[in-house]
Amino acid sequence: MTRSKNANDVSVRIKSESSLLPSQQLSDEILAARVVQGDSAALEALYDRHASIVLGVLLKVIGDRALAEDALQETFWRVWKSASSYEPQRGSFTGWLFRIARNLAIDAHRRVNVRPQVLGNADDMDSLADRTPDPDKDVPEQAQADLRNRQVRSALAALPRVQRLVIEMAYFYGMTRQEIAEATGEALGTIHTRARLGLQKLREELDREDFEG
Amino acid sequence: MDKQIEELLPFYVLGALTDEEREQVETYLRAHPEARAQLDEMSKTVSALPYGTKPVEPARRTKNALMARIAVDERARAPKADQPFRRGVRGENIIRTFTLGIATLAIVWVMILNSQIGRLRSEISNLNNALIAQSNELQQINAKLPQTPLPETVTISLKGTDVRPQAQGQLIADPNSQSAVLVISGLAKLQPGKTYQVWLIDGGGPKSAGLLAVDANGQGVLIVTSELSIGSFQALGISVEPNGGSKQPTGDIVVLSDI
Repeated sequence: MTRSKNANDVSVRIKSESSLLPSQQLSDEILAARVVQGDSAALEALYDRHASIVLGVLLKVIGDRALAEDALQETFWRVWKSASSYEPQRGSFTGWLFRIARNLAIDAHRRVNVRPQVLGNADDMDSLADRTPDPDKDVPEQAQADLRNRQVRSALAALPRVQRLVIEMAYFYGMTRQEIAEATGEALGTIHTRARLGLQKLREELDREDFEG
Repeated sequence: MDKQIEELLPFYVLGALTDEEREQVETYLRAHPEARAQLDEMSKTVSALPYGTKPVEPARRTKNALMARIAVDERARAPKADQPFRRGVRGENIIRTFTLGIATLAIVWVMILNSQIGRLRSEISNLNNALIAQSNELQQINAKLPQTPLPETVTISLKGTDVRPQAQGQLIADPNSQSAVLVISGLAKLQPGKTYQVWLIDGGGPKSAGLLAVDANGQGVLIVTSELSIGSFQALGISVEPNGGSKQPTGDIVVLSDI
């Protein structure tokens, strides 16, 4: 019942918002609903908004630019083909999008077997300055993306390295807790503790940064 | 909360459990909905992780290839417009009678509000003209797209030859179809009087598949058409030819890939 009501709410919002605003000003969730209706302009708007962050994730995990670009295209192709399976009441669109990208990245990573890199290193930190701006992105959207990037990097940098490593091995490389324990030579209990404390600490740091996902 | 589930929960939101462990957590969550709050909080934290990676601007050709692939899919999804409209004779009579009644009322209405009707007719006429113009434009666009819906497409990578190693692209096609979308980048700007020509190659040699226009950035998109299905060809090539194209390749071959 609740789900049906939520779906109706979304439908009403689509009609009221999408008829008045250009794609760039619509929320991800509204754009996703328009993709379900076969609106390729909505898909393009979502691509322009999120492709660089998705490619960042793909490249970090896969380690090969050409393969990462292929996976990026496949990610948004899957958004196009299966947008109807996204349910706004179960979470944000970006959460759903990143899960698609992450799964593709992990599959590709297992094929090419690239060594994991840890986020928040100094060599990653200089990325914002040398990045070429995307002409398809509007300035406030770009500024918002840059702000989020700085906030999360700062929060991650505040984590003890061992906790950050466990989180990244699990999230970006899909390693199970047993695989992480084996790879790090630590006891399984230690890996559990690091994951739990790491996520708690990350939440605190994100709140301190006023991060809004 | 169950101690074991508490240990699994961080790895559940990180997406790093085995299938068996994931099922264990989901069973627990179904029985203990109060644990959802903790799960949602962790999920929110984890969803921030991608923002911590170094953003990378994708190559323009990735978006071009994606949108071309979507255009092909849209074409395949479009409903057929040539379904005949059928109705029975009895239905026609009812409609005629109804139309006559409406027409009589309309005449009375016209006598009373003649000036307003005239103005409305004028507006309708203008709208019809606009509609016809848009319809013509749509037909022109449709005529440039592949004529056969493509239910299943494949993407084939194309590479430049030693003459133009920077060239790369994709051919998006249903192998059983006679048309495909070619997206290419890294081609050089040609001198006046020259053009790029696309060739589909089989055992009988190269067959022209169209002339390719390239923009200032060396990128081009072409709807490739052939009398035979795309899957019957072994390779695709692009050569430099005099304006208007040639019957057989005569100039430098800048792209040549197996398909």
